Amino acid sequence: MKKKTVHFTVNGEPHEVLVESNALLINVLRDELGLTGTKYSCGTGECGSCTVLVDGEPVLSCLTLAVAVDRTDIVTIEGLAEPDGTLDRVQEAFLDHGAIQCGFCTPAMVMMGRDLLNKNPNPSESEIREHIKGTLCRCTGYTSIVRAIRSCSK
Amino acid sequence: MAVNTRILKAEFEYFTPDNFHKALQLLDQYSPDVKVIAGGTDLLIQMKKEVISPRYLINIMKISDMSFIKVKNGWLRIGAATKWREVVEFCAKDRKYAALYEASSSVGKVQVRNMGTIGGNLCTASPAADSAPALLVFNGRVKLANMQRERILNLKDFFKGVNVTAMTSNEIMTEIQIPSIQNGMGSAFMKTTRVGADISKINCAVAVERQGDLCTSCRIGIGAVAPVPMRIQEAERIVAGKRVDTSLVEEMGQKAIEEIKPITDIRSTTEYRRQVASILLKDVFWKAWQRAGGKE
Repeated sequence: MKKKTVHFTVNGEPHEVLVESNALLINVLRDELGLTGTKYSCGTGECGSCTVLVDGEPVLSCLTLAVAVDRTDIVTIEGLAEPDGTLDRVQEAFLDHGAIQCGFCTPAMVMMGRDLLNKNPNPSESEIREHIKGTLCRCTGYTSIVRAIRSCSK
Repeated sequence: MAVNTRILKAEFEYFTPDNFHKALQLLDQYSPDVKVIAGGTDLLIQMKKEVISPRYLINIMKISDMSFIKVKNGWLRIGAATKWREVVEFCAKDRKYAALYEASSSVGKVQVRNMGTIGGNLCTASPAADSAPALLVFNGRVKLANMQRERILNLKDFFKGVNVTAMTSNEIMTEIQIPSIQNGMGSAFMKTTRVGADISKINCAVAVERQGDLCTSCRIGIGAVAPVPMRIQEAERIVAGKRVDTSLVEEMGQKAIEEIKPITDIRSTTEYRRQVASILLKDVFWKAWQRAGGKE
C-alpha cells in the first residue's frame, strides 16, 4: 500500500501526516497526534463514542478513512476549551450537573451538545434527545446529560 | 471469530478522482476488484468484518457534480453522493415529499446522516434500507453509468437480493429521480427499531390519492420483510379504486401478511414481522390518507 500525505487542521493547528490508505481517522488522532480524548468503543457505527467535528459537522472517526479528510478542518474534544484552559460552556454544564459517570461517552456527548447548540441555541428536551440519540451511555446517565445541555440554551 | 473493529486490516489502493469521467475510467480499469466508497458507513463496516475485501476503492465524495438535489421539469433529481443531511433539509421544505422526509430523517443518527449518502444506501441494497420504501412509492428510478453507456432503471428492478443489485462492477449510480408528484397526493413513512438509532426491523411507506372517501391510487413500499425492499401490489389493489373504511384497511393489512416473506434474524422473528408489518402498514396508510385529505 502506498502511503499518502494528508493535510488537515486539528483544533486550529495545521498538520501534515503520512498515512496508509487503510488508516482510520480515530487512530491517526489518538496514536499519531496523541489526542486520546476521542474514544474507540464499538468500531461499527453503533455507539458514537468516536465523534469528532469535520468541517463543522459531527462524524464517526472510527468509520472515516484518514485519506478521506484531506484538506478538512477537524475539531476534537481537546479543541473545545480555550487555549488558556477555560472550559467550553457545555463542559462546564456537564460538571455542574454531574452529567458524567464512567466518562467514556462524555467527549462525544459534549461534542454533540456543542454541535446542537451551534445550530440551535435554544433546543427543547426532545430536540436534545433526538440529537444525542446515536451517542450511547452505557451507564444510562441520559437525564443529567440532557439537563446539562439544556442548561446551556439561551 | 472476534473481529478487531478498532483497525481496518484490509489493504487497498485508494483513489479520489475529482471528476466523473476519471471515476468511470478507474472503475473500468480495476473492475471487478473495485468498490466505490461514498460515506463509508456500510462499506467500511463490511470491510472491517472482512465480509468484502476490494483491492481498490474509489472515493466519489470529491466529485462535485455527484452531490446535488433539485427539481427540474417537475422531477426531483438527487445526486447519488448527496448526504442524508442534505436530503432531509431539502425535503423538509416541501410536504409533497413527506415520506422521503420521514425516511431520510429517520436514518441512523446525526453522525451517520452527515456521512452516509442516499445512493450508498441503495447500492448497499440492505433489505432494510430506509430510503427504499419511500422511493418505491414515488416510482423512483436510478441512473447508472459505466464507460460505455448510461441507463435508467426503475428502483423496483434495481434490487436483486440481499446486498445484490442490478449494477455491474464497472457501473456507478449517478442519480436518483422521482417523477413529478400530483398535488394532493399524501405520503408517509414509519419504521420500527429495537432502539432509537438502529437498523429497521420493518419499514414502510405509503403514497395515496383520494377524492373524498374514494382512494384513487395507492402505492405501498415495505422493507426488511423480504430479501429486497418491495411494493406489495395485491395489498395496494385491495384499497385502490374503493371507498376507504376501517374494514377495508383491515383487509389490506391482512393481504400484506400474505405477500411478505420475512425471516427470523437477530432483530425479529418471522411471526413478529408478519403481525407488526400489518399493523405498521395500517398506521402508515392512515397517516398518508389524512395528508391526502389536506390534514397533517
